[in-house]
Parts: sequence; C-alpha cells; structure tokens
Amino acid sequence: MEQKNLVAAGVTKKYKNVEVLHPTDITIEPGKIYGLIGRNGAGKTTLLSLLTGQNPQTTGTVTYAGQKVWENEDALGEICFARELNAMLMFGPNSFKGKHYLEMAACYYPNWDKAYAQRLIADFELDTKKKISKLSKGMMSMLTIVLALASRAPITILDEPVAGLDVAMRDRFYRLLLDDYQKTGRTFVVSTHIIEEASSVFEEIILLDKGNLVEKLNTDEYVSQFHYISGKDDVVDQATSGLKVLHSEGLGRQKTVCVRAQKQNVLAAAAGLDVELAPVPLQKIFVYVTGGEKEENLA
Amino acid sequence: MQAPLSGTTSIYLQIANLVEDNILKDILLEEEQAPSTNELARLYAINPATAAKGLNLLADEGILYKKRGLGMFVAPGAKTMVQAKRKEAFKSTYIQPLVAEAKNLGLTQQELTHMLAEALQEPSET
Repeated sequence: MEQKNLVAAGVTKKYKNVEVLHPTDITIEPGKIYGLIGRNGAGKTTLLSLLTGQNPQTTGTVTYAGQKVWENEDALGEICFARELNAMLMFGPNSFKGKHYLEMAACYYPNWDKAYAQRLIADFELDTKKKISKLSKGMMSMLTIVLALASRAPITILDEPVAGLDVAMRDRFYRLLLDDYQKTGRTFVVSTHIIEEASSVFEEIILLDKGNLVEKLNTDEYVSQFHYISGKDDVVDQATSGLKVLHSEGLGRQKTVCVRAQKQNVLAAAAGLDVELAPVPLQKIFVYVTGGEKEENLA
Repeated sequence: MQAPLSGTTSIYLQIANLVEDNILKDILLEEEQAPSTNELARLYAINPATAAKGLNLLADEGILYKKRGLGMFVAPGAKTMVQAKRKEAFKSTYIQPLVAEAKNLGLTQQELTHMLAEALQEPSET
C-alpha cells in the first residue's frame, strides 16, 4: 500500500512583516506518535495550522499523499486538527454547546466514531449540554480530546490537549491515546509543554525554536546524545575540554555540565578521571537547547 | 513486572532489564511467553515501538526468541545467559561504585572484606 505522508516543503508564515515560521521542511509519516515541543511563541500552533490547511502558508507547499491540502476536502477529511478551545469567540462568549461542537465534527470527519465519542464522554463525565464558555479549562481539554480521538482520522493533530488537565487526567489521556494507537496505528502529533511525562509516549520528537525546526528525531536517539558530567571543577573541565558544553552549573568546586556528544566519546573523555556520568532528562535538554539560560544569567 | 520505570536510563533498556530480572527470579520461566509489546506499552504507558525495542534487544541476544504469529518466548538456557551477562557487568555496576564509596569513607581493605563476609551471612532480604 502506498504510504500517505503529510509533507510540508519550504513552508514559511509571515504575519504582516514578521516571519513567525522560517523555511521549514517536515514529513509526518503514518503510524507514529510525534511530540511537538517548543517554547511559547516558537511557532508550534502556526506549523500545525499550516499542516492542516487551516491557515495559508506564505510560501512553500503542504501535501498529503501527494495532493495539496489547502481546500482539498478529501485530504482534510483524513486530517483532524483538535485546537485548543476558547471561552470567547470573536464576537462574545463561545455559546456553542459541547454536543454542537461534536455534531459539527461528526459531519466533517468521514470516519467519525459516534459510539467511541459517547464512551469517552461517559468516561470523562463530560456534560455536553453545557455551553463551551461555561466549561472549565479541563473540560474544554477533554472535549477537544473526544473530538480528536473519535474523529478516527488517519492523521490526528492535538494542540496542547493536556493544558488544562490534572496529573491523573493527563495519565488517562496518554493511556487512551496509546490504546487507540495500538488498535488503529493512526498517526498522532501532540504538542505539549509538559514534556517529561509525555516523552515515553512519543516515538519521535519535533523541536521548534524561534520559528525554526531544530530537530526531528527518535526520542531515545535524541536523549542519548546528552550527558551530565559532574565532579571537581578542574577535573570536569579536563574531561569536557574537547566536548560541546551546553550548560554548566556548580557550587564551589563542584561542577556539573551538560554535553552533547556520542556516548563512546563521553566515555573516552572521562576515562581515568574522577567524574560521574548521568543521563539528562528530555525536559532539561529542552531547557538547555532552547536557551532557557537567560533568566539564570540575570540573577 | 510491576516495578515502576525510572528516569535514569533509556526506557527500552529498562524494559529489557525488567524482563531479565523476571527471568533471574523465576517469575518468567524458560519456554514461557514473554509479555507482549502491547502489554508492556499499556502497563507502563509507553510507546509500543519503545517496548518492542527492549524486547528485540533480548531477542538479538538470544534470551528471547520469536514464534511466528505468537510473539516472544523465553529461550531455553535464558536464565544462564542473563546470569552470565550480569556477572560480566557486576564489576562495573556494583563493585567499582562500592570500592569508590569505601575509599571516600576511608575504609580499609580488611574492614571492607569483613563487611562483605558479614553481609553474606545475613539472611537475604529478597
């Protein structure tokens, strides 16, 4: 069977004269769960809305199985974009009811699974007769999750689905996602700011920073490229002299640095030296790579 | 199989380790079916590809073997293989850190040997 890829080639997005997404090439392959991470304003939602034909790109092309996505009903029926809901619409409170929102989705997605939607609604104890403007942040997240999962779209994109959820509900969401993924093998792209607990769910991560696609890689492979080296400062400096240091911290003579290098190079550099090596959690890597250092330097 | 995962090594390695632990402790017996990718993914809420990577690692080492259409099984002699593998790693995983800490504490070789002998006499906690 022909593989249906969602491909963005050389896409950019400008609002007025500001380019919020610099030239980007990305291929979303079927049968994977992708995690999209990036700081606030990195361009995550912009990229997702271009991929799903909800926002026209300034330059470049977006295709699904070789066909242009923009205003292409067949392609769009196979791509679900569950955006964050807002209590306010353009002209006032969002007075749609939850059930209206889901009824619209049922018309839009040819694979809509009504029974599955009802099971999820019951499971989440969602009141779909309530107006969206009256729902809590968590309830709004649940409603978007119902839409995304029940769409049964081959490519399903969720923008910040867990933003309003407590830790127990987030766990439940990822389990539901994995469960459905195992049954159907659909593709999911999930953006989130709560990285650590999601990293084990993502087969690949897509890292955006300041409008640039920085990385798109198998999560394990990416994480295994980073290492903490700690010990006495001069010994650590000796061990890291030929390595790329991303982050450094310490207390007195104690020093810990984060380096990016292949494991064997780190082992070779540390050989015979009194230093300790440790893996770096994805969340920390994210902070070091996307330049969260600034605040610390100000202090 | 219920031990929680930690953030200290790659998840696929932890999965491989868990299965090895269960083989060592006779929780999982030779010629028995190993947990499937889907079972592991569901239990630990991890990506099935990651769980598969862990199982495949053990299959590559001959500790598990694949039965077509049925899944992974524990190979005959798997326990001995795991023991041999762990013995090889015993020095770097346990002895070297133990010696390093003993040096930090200024323990003499005699004291260390005595403590080891004593610990060997105590009833096992597991």
